[in-house]
Amino acid sequence: MTVKYIYSSLSKTMFPTTFNTGAIKTTSYKVVIPFYIYAAVSFFAATILLFTSSESFSVHFFNPHILAITHTMALGWATMIIFGASYQLVPVVAEGKLYSNKLAYISFGLAAVGIPLLVYGFFIFNMHAPAKWGGRFVLFAALFHVINIITSIAKGKSNNIHAKFVLAAALWLFVTVFLGLVLVYNFTISLLPHGYNYMDYLPLHGQMGIVGWFLLLVIGVGSRLIPMFLISKYTNTRLLWAIFILINTALITYIISFYTATQTRLNFIPITLIFTGVLLFIYYCFQSYKKRLRKQVDVQVKISLLSVLLLLIPIIILTALIAVLLSNSSVNIHLTLTYGFVVFFGWLTAIILGMTFKTLPFIVWNKVYHHRASLGKTPSPKELFNANIFKVMTVCYLVGFVLFAVGILQSSTLFLKMGAAFLIITAVSYNLNVLKVVYHKPKSK
Amino acid sequence: MSTKTNNDIFSTIALAGLMHVEDPEIGLNVVDLGLIYELQFLEEEKKIVCNMTLTTQFCPMGESIVDNVTQSLQASFPEDAIEVNLIFEPAWSYDLISEEGREFLGR
Repeated sequence: MTVKYIYSSLSKTMFPTTFNTGAIKTTSYKVVIPFYIYAAVSFFAATILLFTSSESFSVHFFNPHILAITHTMALGWATMIIFGASYQLVPVVAEGKLYSNKLAYISFGLAAVGIPLLVYGFFIFNMHAPAKWGGRFVLFAALFHVINIITSIAKGKSNNIHAKFVLAAALWLFVTVFLGLVLVYNFTISLLPHGYNYMDYLPLHGQMGIVGWFLLLVIGVGSRLIPMFLISKYTNTRLLWAIFILINTALITYIISFYTATQTRLNFIPITLIFTGVLLFIYYCFQSYKKRLRKQVDVQVKISLLSVLLLLIPIIILTALIAVLLSNSSVNIHLTLTYGFVVFFGWLTAIILGMTFKTLPFIVWNKVYHHRASLGKTPSPKELFNANIFKVMTVCYLVGFVLFAVGILQSSTLFLKMGAAFLIITAVSYNLNVLKVVYHKPKSK
Repeated sequence: MSTKTNNDIFSTIALAGLMHVEDPEIGLNVVDLGLIYELQFLEEEKKIVCNMTLTTQFCPMGESIVDNVTQSLQASFPEDAIEVNLIFEPAWSYDLISEEGREFLGR
């Protein structure tokens, strides 16, 4: 057998005299798994709300049930799983260990209590105690997350571009949540500058969260993980820097345009910048895919790659929304609802469905088989979840997503209900597989 | 390149065991993946020193892979002390994957 090897004779000149005897320790599964379970339950809750409140998608987007569903998806589903995955991936992205497990637990506890309170407040449209306390808890959860991430990166060995994305995303999250709490308070105490109302600030709050928090984080982490999972030789730090600058400039331009009289027309500038950034990210993923050594790409990575393409849909809808707004000075309700649905149930959900079964099985595998792998053939991480349930989840997700989106655009209750039903099956399948992975017991083949 | 260590018989036994230690994400063994840089068989000290690397210093499966390499060597040489050193210079690159490894990945 031929083995690619470095000759021991070369070691005298090539090997350092002092050895680095340890890889950076991974974050304990005890910190990470609660976030995954919470997110899975939230996804299920959101699909139930989608089914029971599907009529709300035929009326205005600013209504209690839509607000409740949006925040269940944005905070309970996407943010919670991103918190958990961030704590797990800090060693990979920031090249250092997680600063504090305690802060991560506190962050989890605060968010776990705050999110249902906030969602309940929205659902019954009571902006007093439940929504305010929920908002406060979520704000402090975000604050502790930001402190943990900033300190981990600062103490890490490398300050690479991926870490910059994660850092910037965390800061945008804090600003988004802070503004969100101000908006909640504004229902009872007037806090917004004179001349502005809640509806003016809603898009600002939404775009900072979607673009600043979710998009920056997905690009930062995705640009590290996608080539890693594909075993791709492709790297392009300059391109990633360009994307980073484009998206942050877009957000700053958007905030500036928000305070100018001609804001609608100026909105094309940030959208063009974001669109360019997304196209460059798609190009980055395509090059990683093209230059991969691993020819067999598993379904989880395929879904994640699909989610990258799904990013184009909300941008196209947003462009159409602004074009409609410029032409007749009114917001198209169906397009706005479709935009929100495509962001939370399309792009973000697709990437989470794919990446959950790429990261969670490894976390559990590490826990269960850490000391057992050489003692006998062990199941591979991908064998920790049920492939058939995964297939059902994927098919139901795609069908449910399309049906519900058509239902919004056509104001069809039948399509909305059918789409929501398929998404409930998606969430049930997802939860079953998450539980199967989390409660996996050791076995040798 | 072919393997060159202090003792060919010992290295064959060691490598045969290490061929069962896989990177769980890739499904490829650590030998064909090019993670094992050097094996030293110190007969007087009755000690085996393994200098190895990871695909990245911050590989989430790093601890597990190193533990499994240690256990594999200990199982192959129960009488000897085992020392596994992680080194990151020279850094691992895709060029270190063996022909067999490339075939496996290209399937």
